[in-house]
Amino acid sequence: MIRIFHNSKYEFVRHWRLAAGLTLAFIAAGLVTFAITGGVNYSIEFTGGTLMQVSFKQQPDVGVMRNTLDKAGITGAEIQQFGSPTEYTIRAREEKQVASQAAGAEGISKKIETALRQQFGSNAMTVVRTEAVGPKVGSELRQGAFYAMIITAIFTLIYLAIRFDWRFGMAAVISTAHDILVTFAFIKLMHLEVSLTVVAAILTLLGYSANDTIIIFDRVREDLRKRAKGESMARVLDRAINETLPRSVMTHATTLAATLALLFFAGEVIRPFAWVMAFGIFVATFSSIYVAGPVLLWIESRYPRAASEAAGKAMRAGAEQPATPPAKPRSNERAVAR
Amino acid sequence: MANLKYRILLIVGLLVASAWALFPRTVIERVKRDGVFVYDTVKRVPLKRGLDLQGGMHLTLEVDESKQAVANKSEALDRALKVVRQRIDEFGVAEPVVQKAGEERLIVELPGIDDAARAQDVVQKSAFLEFQITDKTQALEKVTPRFDEIARAAGISIASSDKLSGDTSKKVGVTSLLTQKTDSANKDSTGKAVGATGADSATKAPVQTGGLFASNVQPGQIPGQYIIPETAYSAFERAFALPALQDAMPPGKVIRWGVDSLVNGAQRYRAFYVLDSRPIITGEVLTDARPSSDPVEGNVVQFTLNNEGARRFKVETGKHVKDNMAIVLDQRVVTAPVLNSAIGRNGQITLGGGSLQAAQDLALVLRAGALPVPLKVAEVRSIGASLGQDSINKGGIALVIALALIVAIMIGYYRFSGMLAVAGLVLYLIYTLAMLAGFHAVLTLPGLAGFVLSIGIAVDANVLIFERIREELDHGKSVRLAIDEGFRHALSAIIDTSATTILSGMVLYQYGTGPVRGFAVTLVAGVVASLFTSVFVSKTFFLIWMNRARGVQTLSI
Repeated sequence: MIRIFHNSKYEFVRHWRLAAGLTLAFIAAGLVTFAITGGVNYSIEFTGGTLMQVSFKQQPDVGVMRNTLDKAGITGAEIQQFGSPTEYTIRAREEKQVASQAAGAEGISKKIETALRQQFGSNAMTVVRTEAVGPKVGSELRQGAFYAMIITAIFTLIYLAIRFDWRFGMAAVISTAHDILVTFAFIKLMHLEVSLTVVAAILTLLGYSANDTIIIFDRVREDLRKRAKGESMARVLDRAINETLPRSVMTHATTLAATLALLFFAGEVIRPFAWVMAFGIFVATFSSIYVAGPVLLWIESRYPRAASEAAGKAMRAGAEQPATPPAKPRSNERAVAR
Repeated sequence: MANLKYRILLIVGLLVASAWALFPRTVIERVKRDGVFVYDTVKRVPLKRGLDLQGGMHLTLEVDESKQAVANKSEALDRALKVVRQRIDEFGVAEPVVQKAGEERLIVELPGIDDAARAQDVVQKSAFLEFQITDKTQALEKVTPRFDEIARAAGISIASSDKLSGDTSKKVGVTSLLTQKTDSANKDSTGKAVGATGADSATKAPVQTGGLFASNVQPGQIPGQYIIPETAYSAFERAFALPALQDAMPPGKVIRWGVDSLVNGAQRYRAFYVLDSRPIITGEVLTDARPSSDPVEGNVVQFTLNNEGARRFKVETGKHVKDNMAIVLDQRVVTAPVLNSAIGRNGQITLGGGSLQAAQDLALVLRAGALPVPLKVAEVRSIGASLGQDSINKGGIALVIALALIVAIMIGYYRFSGMLAVAGLVLYLIYTLAMLAGFHAVLTLPGLAGFVLSIGIAVDANVLIFERIREELDHGKSVRLAIDEGFRHALSAIIDTSATTILSGMVLYQYGTGPVRGFAVTLVAGVVASLFTSVFVSKTFFLIWMNRARGVQTLSI
């Protein structure tokens, strides 16, 4: 049988400084881009405004398109090629345009269509997609997305708090929070458009990341129970991570296969979602090793538990699990062997 | 092995139920045949595609309170909903959705609509009917200097070549045009409101000179009617939208555009009207409307009012004999005949040369019900059918590739056990789709993505179990015991995954819009199905295998 990372004995925790440096640098890069380019690249649903995807028969001159729109009073429209060279998206969301949509969201899109048809001929193009969102709906969706994130975060935290004792719970929470932060930095660096679908990806990641941490922590807890006398917490952690490594890699591989298929084949519309998922899965695996672990270690060193208490707590927290058979002799042997 | 028998029975039972839920069935639905919607039986897999996959239009409508506040919005919306639904039925759309969202909004979903603009007109634009008396106090003339000031301050002006004033020939043109127009338009009503007056207003001097209003506005044939060149239309539209100008409106008056532009030779003109802002009646009191064709009056729409409306109409029209009454449909003046005497229950709208089709359309929207409140579009999304089909194709390709990759990984790495997992995966796919069909969930593009993603997550449970079994085997346990322990130990982690993902899914459903809701539903259905297939079905497969190969010593995993 093929085995990857079988009986590996990497000392993950020792490199936590490097890992922390990397992720902090990444987050900092995200923050700097955020500060320079100013704000998040929200989609039309959140900003309000009009998005039109237009398919031309022949490749149009973008300059002419822009002039036409300017003349029609749609100034500052963002015109982008979308997929093929004859397809374009037009985004109109200057403040006054958004404000004008309060009286009827369809106004701008009609103006754009009329202007383009007059310029290029009414049969030269088809409008394949229109999204026109009034300012009120936009701000509501923004608010909804915000609440959704907060509520999911709180639910996940409560779940983790019930699932583990506070040391584990805290570490898992920090690791999950880290994932969200890094994902935001990624979105910013990649200049991805934050739409409701991307928010959905982030929320899915929240669950995925928490779950990834839970699996490693479960193993840590199990290993704590059969911890040899004098074995350091760091050792236990490393052992747990190594033991779950094949699973982490395999799960990562299958989920990544799915997201990469989406990224490359499912088309332009869903691409930002696929990017965020692909990156997020990677980060979730990284953080359950390099963020959750070291943080747990730090908490354990700040608030050490007595050996007996540790076992008791772990048992109590793991009460929902069926009783595990008594510690196997092998784990002790292995600890000694090291 | 009674236990095993029941397990198999449950799995097969669910499979049969799923197959039944997914089996193509004949349903009666509206389909388009040669451009006409007819009811027909269609055989198809009962999986609903969202608007983003099949193309169509999503509209969010809300009460427009910019003109007047609405006291009981929720109740007014309930009535508006009925009207909109009825209209859509007459318009002809396969499986439309009209529902109230919260207390303030209507959601209208029109699958397969290719003419979004016309659909939107039928749903939202038409048939808020008001009868308003035109202004005869020359209110506009009084505020013209002020209006010009405001327009100038806002930087609205037009090229001087478009100016009307001082060009006598043009003015004559307008006048003759108007005479023509009003002649046909004002022979009105069931013999009660007749004739055109206002010839005197045409002879009035141009309002003043200089400024947007002073140099472009020309008094029309009837009191309260004004004419501008078509070229100045957009400038005026912008000017009228200025808040400062609205503040400067004479009290109790409103400005409304006429429906059509007027053509005179190469010149096109627009009419606007200054009206009493309080309507004497609105479309709410209308009970019936019929198109009618008359050799003398052209195409007309005859309408009937209810008791209360008739009473009020009689009183009000009685007060305004010899005044002009504008019939305002969706804030556009259709016509403004003179009231020759009080009108009671029955009235008539003359379309002034409009086609019979126009009369029928107008009667239809009036009959199907005037909207009790004006509605405005808060959000519109429309997706062409070709883009939807494109999304389906691409999503399908992604799905197949994802599946192929995952199957390759699982069988390549776990061999025989991997095959069991893949068999479980097939069941997983069927169960998930059946659940979506069973709950009448809507498959959207993000939903499709969620489905692909959930396959990746579904195998995670198998990976967890298999890795655990491997470890237990390493510990020197027997195959049977290792499998047992593997499933038992992995269970809590699998439940964790499911719980956290379902939590995210539920929150997303709560806060998301259509497509994202599709994602949430698919994700949750996928997780539930994967919980069952990975824990229960896979275990059963292993049990069957162990049963057949008794005393087996090795497991290909």
